Amino acid sequence: MKRALWIFILIGALAATSVTAAPQRGGTLRVGLNADPPNLDPHQSTAAVDRQVFQNLYDKLVDINQNLEIVPMLATSWQIADGGRTYTFKLRQGVVFHDGTPFNAEAVKFNFERMLDKSFGSPRFNEVSLVTGVTVVDPYTVRIALEKPYSPFLAVLSDRAGMMVSPAAAQKLGKGLAREPVGTGPYKFVEKRPQERIVLERFDKHWDKNAGNIDRIIYRPFTDENARLANLRADELDIIDQVGPTEIPKLRTDPVLRLLERSGLEYQGMYIMVAGPPFNNKLLRQALDATIDRRTLVNVVFGETALPANGPFPPALFTYDIPANSRIPERNVDLARQRLREAGMPNGFSFTLKITPGRVAQQIGQVIQSMASDAGIKVNLEVVEFGAMLSQLDAHKFEAALLGWSGRPDPDGNIYGFFVTDGGLNNSAYSNPKVDTLLDAARILTTRDQRKRAYADIMTVLDDELPYLYLYWPKQYKVLGPKLQGFVHISDGMMRFRSTWLNP
Amino acid sequence: MSWYLVRRLLLTLPVLFFVSVIVFSLINLIPGDPARIMLGEEASREALSALRKEMGLDRPRYVQYLLWLNHVARGDFGRSVRDGRPVLDTLLLKLPVTIELAVTSLVVAWVIAIPAGVVAAWKQRTALDYAATTVALAGISVPNFWLGIMMIYLFAVNLRLLPPSGYIEPWIDLARSLKLMVMPSIVLGAALAALVMRLLRSSMLEVLGTDYIRTARAKGLDDVVVLIRHAMKNAMIPVVTVMGLQLSGLLGGAVITETIFAVPGLGRLTVDSILTRDYPMVQGVVLFAALAGARTE
Repeated sequence: MKRALWIFILIGALAATSVTAAPQRGGTLRVGLNADPPNLDPHQSTAAVDRQVFQNLYDKLVDINQNLEIVPMLATSWQIADGGRTYTFKLRQGVVFHDGTPFNAEAVKFNFERMLDKSFGSPRFNEVSLVTGVTVVDPYTVRIALEKPYSPFLAVLSDRAGMMVSPAAAQKLGKGLAREPVGTGPYKFVEKRPQERIVLERFDKHWDKNAGNIDRIIYRPFTDENARLANLRADELDIIDQVGPTEIPKLRTDPVLRLLERSGLEYQGMYIMVAGPPFNNKLLRQALDATIDRRTLVNVVFGETALPANGPFPPALFTYDIPANSRIPERNVDLARQRLREAGMPNGFSFTLKITPGRVAQQIGQVIQSMASDAGIKVNLEVVEFGAMLSQLDAHKFEAALLGWSGRPDPDGNIYGFFVTDGGLNNSAYSNPKVDTLLDAARILTTRDQRKRAYADIMTVLDDELPYLYLYWPKQYKVLGPKLQGFVHISDGMMRFRSTWLNP
Repeated sequence: MSWYLVRRLLLTLPVLFFVSVIVFSLINLIPGDPARIMLGEEASREALSALRKEMGLDRPRYVQYLLWLNHVARGDFGRSVRDGRPVLDTLLLKLPVTIELAVTSLVVAWVIAIPAGVVAAWKQRTALDYAATTVALAGISVPNFWLGIMMIYLFAVNLRLLPPSGYIEPWIDLARSLKLMVMPSIVLGAALAALVMRLLRSSMLEVLGTDYIRTARAKGLDDVVVLIRHAMKNAMIPVVTVMGLQLSGLLGGAVITETIFAVPGLGRLTVDSILTRDYPMVQGVVLFAALAGARTE
């Protein structure tokens, strides 16, 4: 009898959980962003915050899952041939854009041509510049030819370059598509009021009938992180992006709100200009590096919201466990002094470290200043406004500069352009034929193991030559209110609301 | 009187001209290439030069200025380089928000400041006076962002009496619109009230010491009548002048308050536009604020 009772209770409990776990239809999701997304055309967008809205407004050819593996989206399958120079995509059938335009191989061709059109000036140009031709094989098959093998290509198509806009709308609106976006995503655009809100509504003709349980999504920008969190607490929002480090410990034990934490794709550190004094001397770069205690730096400035770093690959990337990347060096002031003696500067030297305005950059600058001074290295901090910083880095007009990278789901995006000779992001003016060869090799190699070996060889060189001092990997945070269910947190930090639902 | 108004309006023209020159020069002094900021870290050189050309940044500065002035004179403020919307459309979208916030803040300030100022002067050097002066001092000293966050936690998170943020036009939902304005206008109004209260107190004290007040009292008039009908009329002159100046400040936007309460007014528009080097928008907003300033004075 007792046993029967237990079984009864168990069945009841299971029934109850399955009821609450089943996705519910309807409701309005309220999302708190950290800035106002200025541009809703993925082929024109430059602000990172735009991508949050794109996830639900547009479909991409492929997407990434929680393990950063490539999964089908608008392309159901693909074949890579000709030694990695040709990608043939089978496209999903029965897909329509929000304006009724059918999605097919012609639409894919149009989208690539739009990104490659120099007079259009798309910021995506660099990402797809290796594409030499797009061929419509049949209405649902498209072949893309590349100038040379490029194994990160699919990862690139999992972001803005892979988002498909309606050809009809793009032809009609031109750059105006930024204000009236038309994609194939599970949500369609309703309205945008600058600095106030962006409203999306469920798209009933979306190809995935399981996507989009929620009726409406309202994005609201809150530039002040305290105000953002306060609005979540007041049940005015259901999810917020980014939260201040001081709030994290409190949120872990919060009875109502849920804190989600994940390794991000981002790294932060310091560019060193190696083509001019003082850092054209490798010994001085090594001396500076040896004075830095990364663990202490992270403890002081970030607590548990970041990890000390020695390379460009945070734990989410498959290249993370390359020793020269993940092994955090101990601070060694004696070694620093020895390097200074070898360089003929036993009494140290001085250099200017450029930092952007803001509390965090200032704190890091000061920590490095005080650590370096123990070996007699004098750091002059110079605060430079962000836009000016970018221009000065382009022109190599600096000695050292604190600036990181938002990160990409493929390791190539975190390393290639920064160290290849004359690369677009090679602000350090670094050039090493061996590294160039290895970087290109990693793009040709196709298996993860082979690529990892190439990156390990690169990291061994970079760990010795130090054109960039990696300092920390920030973690990714989202905070959820009690209603939002089924949210999957992916390291790219993007909020995908395809499978989520709201408890009433 | 009408001639006076016409003259005042004509006088605002040179003011606006100088403001436009100053704004244009200042924004060009800010470091950083706007095309670079707009296209971000990964921009290609082709895209950069194409955008510079499109924005007219490849032309000499004075040509850029004259072109802009020519358009503005015809009521065309250009398009935002950030989102491509016409500048005037965005300004007109933000204007009712800013006016509503300015008016409600002024109302809050008057409601607090006038009784407090009168009582403080009337009961000079009593507990009432000290209390009012202390509160006023606190009102001036408390930072806006702190007061704002504290109010959100008290009234929206704990007591659930008021919505924490946002805006809705009064003609769509008047009750909710006013509810949304309560906290921002108290935060803005508090600092303003403190200033007005102190000003009114000292100006009342001065007036209360004059001969005509003594005469009025000697005639046996009631204290309240003396205060309200005789003293206040004169004491309000400097207060109204200062209020006018404050109003033009409010119309220019209250950046911090707008940020905390997510009120989409001119203040946040200004800051966002400066940070993203949205030249046409910054020029439009500042010219607009200058116009508002000149009018209220």
